[in-house]
Amino acid sequence: MAGNPFPLNKGQLLEAYRKMKTIREFEERLHVDFGRGDIPGFVHLYAGEEASATGIMAHLGDGDRIASTHRGHGHCIAKGVDIVAMMKEIYGKKGGSCNGKGGSMHIADLSKGMMGANGILGAGAPLACGAALAAKLRKKGEVAITFVGDGASNQGTFLESLNLAAVWNLPTIFVVENNGYAESTSRDYGTAVDSYVDRAAGFGMPGVTVDGTDFFAVYEAAGEIIRRAREGGGPTLLECKMVRFHGHFEGDAQTYRGPGENEENRNNKDCLKKFSAEVAGSGVITLDELKAIDADVMRLIEHAVAEAKAAPFPTLADLTTDVYIKY
Amino acid sequence: MSTLAPSVGIIANPVSARDIRRVIANASNLQTADRVNIVLRLLSTLAELGVGKVFMMPDKSGMRPLLSRQLNRESQLGHGFPEVEYLDFPVTSTVEDTFRATRLMREAGVKAMIVLGGDGTHRAVARECGDIPIAGLSTGTNNAFPEMREPTLTAMAVALYATGKLSRAEALSGNKVIEISINHGERKDIAIVDAVISHERVIGARALWRPESLNALYLTFADPEVIGLSAIGGLLQPTTRESPDGLMIELASDPAKAQFNLRAPIAPGMMRDIPIANWAPLKAGVDYPVALDAGVVALDGEREMTFKPGEHVNVSLVSQAFFTVDVTRCLQLGAVNGLFRF
Repeated sequence: MAGNPFPLNKGQLLEAYRKMKTIREFEERLHVDFGRGDIPGFVHLYAGEEASATGIMAHLGDGDRIASTHRGHGHCIAKGVDIVAMMKEIYGKKGGSCNGKGGSMHIADLSKGMMGANGILGAGAPLACGAALAAKLRKKGEVAITFVGDGASNQGTFLESLNLAAVWNLPTIFVVENNGYAESTSRDYGTAVDSYVDRAAGFGMPGVTVDGTDFFAVYEAAGEIIRRAREGGGPTLLECKMVRFHGHFEGDAQTYRGPGENEENRNNKDCLKKFSAEVAGSGVITLDELKAIDADVMRLIEHAVAEAKAAPFPTLADLTTDVYIKY
Repeated sequence: MSTLAPSVGIIANPVSARDIRRVIANASNLQTADRVNIVLRLLSTLAELGVGKVFMMPDKSGMRPLLSRQLNRESQLGHGFPEVEYLDFPVTSTVEDTFRATRLMREAGVKAMIVLGGDGTHRAVARECGDIPIAGLSTGTNNAFPEMREPTLTAMAVALYATGKLSRAEALSGNKVIEISINHGERKDIAIVDAVISHERVIGARALWRPESLNALYLTFADPEVIGLSAIGGLLQPTTRESPDGLMIELASDPAKAQFNLRAPIAPGMMRDIPIANWAPLKAGVDYPVALDAGVVALDGEREMTFKPGEHVNVSLVSQAFFTVDVTRCLQLGAVNGLFRF
């Protein structure tokens, strides 16, 4: 073996795999538990899209802020939010990331720079601009990243934020996670000019498209973009072309998909399979090491679910706490 | 499929010029709406010069609906266009679409293919076009292969050939390619401008822009007036498209062992010092084994093939591998022979 061919060392590679695997199993477990009626509210699963969150967040610290979407569990996990606290939150229990009062679509952990999932499409973009403005004023080289889906990229808030970030030269990165569907509406049907690089050019900022199912493509592009933002180079748009393994929401019959589309996605566009094949094939990491992580992750998810089920619900007395937060 | 009226294919890559070079080199981006406008100019010119039908590659990146709207508007204004037929196949939004469209256009009997894209798009068409000539239009990033030219002029030249007013001998030029073979043909591909051996080991963001990652370059031609990795050859030892030879360049992994540093534009606006060890003509029909133990082969600007220790990588230059419409020569012959007089 001629050394490590990857731009990450062995420990970083294992950590990237652990993050992606944790997201995958977290989401697959929610798929089962939600179907059983164990979880209140709605959940939108990130399975299939793990390389985007993990490849980007590998370049961030706790001081860097992210504004997530309704499909935010993967962003939380990649940003380092505690898994048990997340599971409790999604189960609506005390001890959750927001003490069970946010649930899946309002889960947040400011200590990790995770400003929140968001039930309003496109609403994260202005928040990220605010965080980026704060970062610019603090002059510590921090950045803010907003994630949107291809559907939300048509929202006025997103387009206004591109303009604001450009005119103020903010360290904001706009990540369009393009899984091809705005809920059930195909991107081809609902978006007039669907090159997101074109959108960026319209606001005078660079835009880049990468294969969002390839961890290394995301990692490398995001590294350059984030470095640029930290050094004062301003905003960039990054489009990650990807697939989601589940419906828009749990319970979605997915009648809008083509025949065999889900199977094709799972068989040939699975970012975890691609990552495993590449790192294990290089000889840097063994399959046994990956399997050991798989076992760790399964134990962690089981533990998180058990903790979530055992935890109490918030009480009426909890209703008016945590409404405001001091910075 | 067959057609009696002279037909032409248009392969317009909707996703060229979208990669990391927008960030690291401030490279330009030709917007989708502009690509559609180019197609409209091609169509109207082809129609005026007797091309009856055009086959288009389908896409899922917004070009087709934009073009349909524009064609509808133009036809209401009474403007003439050839019949436009979109090829019917499921779009993957990968290079496979270009391969498939090229094959289908060949089967449909097109006389020529007009290609909108960068070196990568042209490479994909060159792999599949056989003896159908290409007329290239630059919409990519580095654009060493396709020329920068108003599309109207390209369409004029293509129409002269497609309608039989100019012969193959008059209208076409042969082109070289570099063939890359890993493990004696286990994996094969081509480059139409440059095959670059890099120390990088993953495909990643595809482009190559770190000089220290470069190991060796194999070029079909080297023009000092282009940018990209082939510019290194262009500024070192210009080699024309017509020359029987290509050019090979070995870079110094230890800068102290370089003969000199060559400052070259390896991406738009990105001048970098490249440590040159050796260079020599690349002879057609000769096998050149790659010395690097493990790395990546970049083809026409993008990392495409990885190779591991123990794998054998071979490079060879092939002459007259595919044909292009020589736009300058066609227009000059058209003028001299009165082919534009109606």
